[in-house]
Amino acid sequence: MEFLSALSPLFFLLIAFGVLVGIIFGSIPGMTATMAVAVCLPLTYALDLTNGLALLLGLYVGGITGGMVPAILLKIPGTPSSITTTFDGYPMAKNGEGERALKIGIVASLFGGVFSAILLFLFAPVLSDFAIKFSYVEKFLIIFLALTVIASLSGNMLMGIFSGILGVWLSLIGTYDISDGGNGEIRLMFDFMEPYLESGFSLLPVLIGLFGLGTVLIEAEKGVKKEISSQSLKMSGQAQFSMSVFKGKLTNLIRSSSIGTFVGMLPGVGGSAASVLAYTQEKNFSRDSSQMGKGAPQGIVASESSNNGLTGGALIPLLSLGIPGDSTTAILIGAFTLQGIQVGPLFIGDNLDTWYTMVFALLVANFVMFAIMFFAIKHIAKVVAVPKYILYPIIIMMCVVGAYAINYGIMFDVWTLFMFGIFGYVAHKVGIEIPPLIIGFILGGSAEIYFVKSLESYGDFMIFFTKSPIAMFLWGLIFMSIAFSIYLHIKGRRQQSSEAET
Amino acid sequence: MKKTILALSVALAGSAVTSTAMAQDDAPIDGNLRIVIGSTSTGGDTYQNSEIVAQELSDKLDMNVKVDAVGATEAFKTLERNDDGNTMMIFHDMSYLGHLYGVRGYDNVFEEFNVGPSIAINPGNAYLVPKDSPYDSFDDIKEAVADGERVRVSIQPGGVSEIGFSAMKNAIRIEHPGAEENLVAVNSGSQSDKNQQMFDGLADVINGSVQSNEQFTRLEEDDQKAMKFIWLTAREDTIKQTLEEGMGETTREELLEYTEPNVTVTQDGEKNFTFDKEFFFIYNKDMDQEIVDYMDEALADIYDEGEIQETQKQSFFIPNFKPSDESREDLKQKMNEYKEIIESIDS
Amino acid sequence: MSMFEITIPFDQSHLFFPRIITWLLGGLFVLVLMKYARPIMSKYRSGGMTELLDLEEFHKFKFFGTIVLVALYFIMMDVVGSWFPNMGFGFLFVSMPFIFLMGMMYVHEITKATVTKIVIVSLVSPLLAWFVLARLFDITLP
Repeated sequence: MEFLSALSPLFFLLIAFGVLVGIIFGSIPGMTATMAVAVCLPLTYALDLTNGLALLLGLYVGGITGGMVPAILLKIPGTPSSITTTFDGYPMAKNGEGERALKIGIVASLFGGVFSAILLFLFAPVLSDFAIKFSYVEKFLIIFLALTVIASLSGNMLMGIFSGILGVWLSLIGTYDISDGGNGEIRLMFDFMEPYLESGFSLLPVLIGLFGLGTVLIEAEKGVKKEISSQSLKMSGQAQFSMSVFKGKLTNLIRSSSIGTFVGMLPGVGGSAASVLAYTQEKNFSRDSSQMGKGAPQGIVASESSNNGLTGGALIPLLSLGIPGDSTTAILIGAFTLQGIQVGPLFIGDNLDTWYTMVFALLVANFVMFAIMFFAIKHIAKVVAVPKYILYPIIIMMCVVGAYAINYGIMFDVWTLFMFGIFGYVAHKVGIEIPPLIIGFILGGSAEIYFVKSLESYGDFMIFFTKSPIAMFLWGLIFMSIAFSIYLHIKGRRQQSSEAET
Repeated sequence: MKKTILALSVALAGSAVTSTAMAQDDAPIDGNLRIVIGSTSTGGDTYQNSEIVAQELSDKLDMNVKVDAVGATEAFKTLERNDDGNTMMIFHDMSYLGHLYGVRGYDNVFEEFNVGPSIAINPGNAYLVPKDSPYDSFDDIKEAVADGERVRVSIQPGGVSEIGFSAMKNAIRIEHPGAEENLVAVNSGSQSDKNQQMFDGLADVINGSVQSNEQFTRLEEDDQKAMKFIWLTAREDTIKQTLEEGMGETTREELLEYTEPNVTVTQDGEKNFTFDKEFFFIYNKDMDQEIVDYMDEALADIYDEGEIQETQKQSFFIPNFKPSDESREDLKQKMNEYKEIIESIDS
Repeated sequence: MSMFEITIPFDQSHLFFPRIITWLLGGLFVLVLMKYARPIMSKYRSGGMTELLDLEEFHKFKFFGTIVLVALYFIMMDVVGSWFPNMGFGFLFVSMPFIFLMGMMYVHEITKATVTKIVIVSLVSPLLAWFVLARLFDITLP
């Protein structure tokens, strides 16, 4: 524990500051953990490595957690990985249980974060050796597994699948990017669109367009009713938060955190897949999942513990291979290089003190996050009480900032936000389902790369089945997931018809 | 109206002009300076390099200088729209290599834009093989392909990663005509994809860098992740300028074993091919010559002071300041040389 | 040799997956049409577009007002922003009237109190956002 003596009060202050700023960034629709880390990176130039990392890890943890706040209270995922939090969080908030939902989310986040930090500490090298067993084929199957959730998430199976595929299709518009291994050619557009659509639609503007502006438009059509916001306030009489809500959810917590850590560890699969996978696995494997999507705490638990599980997970390949597991850790590489520290397979052995400090900072950040959030929640939850004529213009303004800033200042992203806002409204009217669509959109790009690269490399469709035992295992999960969603829909239909008879 | 807004904005920005070396009243640019870069990564070498220069410029010009990682396509577009000198671009050789390789979105940078001063070199561009590979050097590879073996090289097509591959192919064409067909490119994306292709046995050689692959070269041979360098594309002189410690545990002396003349990749039968990844400014074509000169002068001052060199070397970059005219000519010549190589292997 | 073998030429690889997806999407669309065309048509016949799209209480002013206002907001932000390159003033100065107008459009009772609230919010929130993000964190804004 020698490294502890090197820590100063500044170290803890910076973690706290980082977590706080991270939470604020995460809570603003359109601002992400990645952005928080990116904008604060220059602040670390003046700090030494230990303190710089304290700040950045605090931002990371805070940013990922903060995403749940607008997801639960406003149905706008603050970061892409909190999309599944909206499924159950928002219904709870609408029932006046916003505070309870947030508290459940925080406890789950804390569990996921600490769980993954421990895995990181104990097994980083072993896990990264396991992670490199995942070639294009296995990565494609993981994405495919995540895509099968579309079926079980949709209200109407046919429309849900249609929406999901539409999402995939939309994500393919633009360039087949050379930095992902593509050939840099464009597709799925007419010539006149080229100057605008070359880079395609970015995820974040699409996300906040659909959820943010789309929702505002739906409300505007109905005349922006006055009463809805105040109804969420009546917290009395509703169920209060108590730890007993976690009774029987240990399996869920461990499973979801493991999924989060594991997906975070696979470079290129993308963090958003983690919460989607965890959410569906909970839906498929829990004893009673009938309430999921209507305000069930278990949904929040799955979603939030897995997306905080990401934090430790994404650091595994960074620290044991020198390869970032997600976009946020990609920026951390910059912080290391600026301090003259090399990350790679020998990082841990060469820099034991830094390594201990990082894990320690990660743990502290999780507890600080818990402390800050737990006491701030009462006040944060009041956001829903802000009258809509004030709230909506501000949401739109912040959405604009987020869309414009996500790719460091591109005006087309703001127009993407506009287009998908209107699309979100139209989709709502014609019955296109947004959650499957957005999941398709998130996963579409990587699905393509890994699918095409698998075939390019092996030249045989059968490779998806014969590549490795891991592939077979993933197929097992895929079939179970599909079978389960079919079963759910049949059950749902029977219930409907029996209700109709009575 | 505009005036009121301006007055208000000055008050808001609180930008009290303090007098330093260059910030006179007649400075040709004021307000904020935005540097867009050709990469979308804020962890990569382009960003780091630009950030180092931006910080120095910010002090020197007494302006806010902000680096935005918008990526090549968007950076060129942004630059095209802004000729006022408040938006500039920093990028590397990809800006003309992309054009040579015919990548979409890359016009001839010398015609469509104004190439400005060079600032640094990243000497790390490298090619690696697995540690237990039958090939120990580029010579082994040449022999293997001459014997009809297929050697697969994992690269990201269309740029810095491909030029070394083209050079190897060209060298084989010169020494063993016809055998160059056996050296094939495996197209992939990020460094992690390239590494993964090696681990999966899908590539025999990968493009990488000293910075991100050095630790892999220090692993034991029985580790499936272990690699070894076979070639650094930088000039010998470039590597000689790195700090003596080199990178990680690999000293400068050891690095020099992998550059020419110890590794020979011939360019035309006589001269050895080399490639230094240079970073330079790109301006809008119509930007005032006055601003070009102003920037040259500011950068010359910064490099004269000598601090920036320390920072660059710490981050494994080689300081490489050349004012606009010199830089433009050198890069043009570089482009012409590479053009020949690419054309000769295409035919 | 098997029927599952395939080679994808690299220069055409950008079309491979999009084609599969486009066909899949087209197929699903036909299925959707087959399943829903009839109920949709009968609904349309009985109640027209209003019934079909659930537009009974369609607030034209607020709905189209929102779209127009947001579009204007985005356009003007870019225009004003280009007067002061890279300062973020486009965002700052256009957000203020936007928030004010949108607030006025959405508010139900126009009283002294609500209008004061809207005015304050429309001045303070863009300024705060701009100051924290553009000044403190150096984020590029329009």
